[in-house]
Amino acid sequence: MSRPFRNTMKIKQQDLKVLSNKKIAPGHYVIELESEVLCKAAPGQFVQILTDHDQDPLLPRPFSFLDTGKKTLRILYQVVGKGTRLMSLKTPGSALRILGPLGNGFSMSWKRTPSNIVVIGGGVGIPPLYHLVKTFVEKPSLGIKKDQIHVFLGARTKDFLHCEQDLKKLGVHLNVATDDGSKGHQGVVTELADKFLSSTKQIEVMIYACGPTPMLKSSSVLAREHGVRCELSVEEPMPCGFGACLGCAVKIKDGKGYRFAMSCTEGPVFQADEILWD
Amino acid sequence: MGLDLSVNLGKLKLQNPVLVASGTFGYAKEFERFFDLKQLGGIVTKTLTLKPRIGNPPQRVHETPSGMLNAIGLQNVGVEVFIKDKLPYLSRLGIPLIASVMGYSVDEFVKVVEALNDHKGIDGFELNLSCPNVEYSNAHEEPMDRPAKMFAHDESMILNVVNSVRQATDKTVIAKLGPDVSDVGKMALAAQKGGADAVSLINTFIAMSLDIKTQKPVLKNITGGLSGPCIRPIAVRMVWEVARAVKIPVIGMGGIMNANDVLEFMIAGAACVQVGTANFINPTACPQILSDLKSYMKQAKINTLSKVVGTVKGVK
Repeated sequence: MSRPFRNTMKIKQQDLKVLSNKKIAPGHYVIELESEVLCKAAPGQFVQILTDHDQDPLLPRPFSFLDTGKKTLRILYQVVGKGTRLMSLKTPGSALRILGPLGNGFSMSWKRTPSNIVVIGGGVGIPPLYHLVKTFVEKPSLGIKKDQIHVFLGARTKDFLHCEQDLKKLGVHLNVATDDGSKGHQGVVTELADKFLSSTKQIEVMIYACGPTPMLKSSSVLAREHGVRCELSVEEPMPCGFGACLGCAVKIKDGKGYRFAMSCTEGPVFQADEILWD
Repeated sequence: MGLDLSVNLGKLKLQNPVLVASGTFGYAKEFERFFDLKQLGGIVTKTLTLKPRIGNPPQRVHETPSGMLNAIGLQNVGVEVFIKDKLPYLSRLGIPLIASVMGYSVDEFVKVVEALNDHKGIDGFELNLSCPNVEYSNAHEEPMDRPAKMFAHDESMILNVVNSVRQATDKTVIAKLGPDVSDVGKMALAAQKGGADAVSLINTFIAMSLDIKTQKPVLKNITGGLSGPCIRPIAVRMVWEVARAVKIPVIGMGGIMNANDVLEFMIAGAACVQVGTANFINPTACPQILSDLKSYMKQAKINTLSKVVGTVKGVK
């Protein structure tokens, strides 16, 4: 079995310079930050961002990467509460307190190289998957050709099919679904992935999924039914991000029983078959 | 002349008054990448129980205005694994190490303390009398000395458990008090009478948040412990009340984020403090606080920080 990428990088808290911060869809922004070190982070890893130093909001919030360049990284985020609202007001030249890189990313090396990569992403779960797909396409040494990558994106409505154009540019297979039918298949995206998995004769498929919990559950079911490997990136409320508070618990198998794993230090990427859903 | 930040706590001498609070610093190793842990006044471990505990199911945490609600459920490795896997590292740090301990009965408290007492590197015990997240009552088949509510809520139970632990160890014994009582001074007096070397306060407040859409509690455990700056003014008031009531040293805590907060607690009567939730937000909060305390001392021309303790003015 493959294991997710393990974080071996030095974790630091520092103030990073904001280079740009643009609205890309209603309530959604992409912020660009300057950091040479964090650019070495792997797809699926994350940072903790503290938007305020005045104790309200008190805690930082976790964000995965949209992509990384040589000296800059981008984060796609949705304005949900006070912290992300303050984040959306950050102007170029201002600073943001960042702790990272944290957590373990998606597998990018295997004993058996997959014949097909299936990527299932929903809403703000799409960015780390775009980061992953982009990395595969830009690094041929990883052994995955763009023709082997099948991306399935889902969203409430077409405005939130993040990275759709960028993924098209990468030249991978792309399928979309929206709840309201404003673009692509009307319904949930896992239905599209199910059709593909049923039609393909390839058995060495690897699924990567990130998005809302019902989507992650369906992706696990798909993987089990089709007998293929699957990695999920989960999102839990996370006060610290480095294993101190024990807040971000995920119920996983442990021998015949179960235990609570910390999604910050053992995840956020887990093998789909280790997670026990309620 | 050098600055003196030292504090006496029972038999323990601390190099400075900044300790880290139980449950907010892991087993310390999680923080070694951020700063030299030897700078700390002391470490209070995650609460240890006789047997390992897997903790509560998620959701375990929730942010509230300037605060944090948690119901971790005392997830810990248990005393046996702690001694084997965690203590060697902690004892090598060479700074005072306080083991936070909890039992479901007086007898179990004593057993946990006895299991740890002879091990090198443990300098004292903080009795967690007030963890709000664990079911204490299970009426049937429970021995009579097993309390139906928290130890921290009853003077006689505090007296009993502190006294029993006192018989079991010569090391420093600290009673950690809970805030959900009408007269915290009385609880502190019971701990003093039981033979505690110090009292620490306050633990988190029992609190609750609801999701108005689902109409369900946000935390799976229903209630949780509230910490962070939102509880600080209440904590300061309680430290002030307790410091007036007892003769033993008081360890203050509750939403300490910076050096000014430390000074506020010390002026109210705390001999030293514990920093908790701040460690999650800024893993270098403690060394920052220490550096700022030294700057304050230089600026205010104070050579001995302990002179600040209990200097609250304008009150009788």
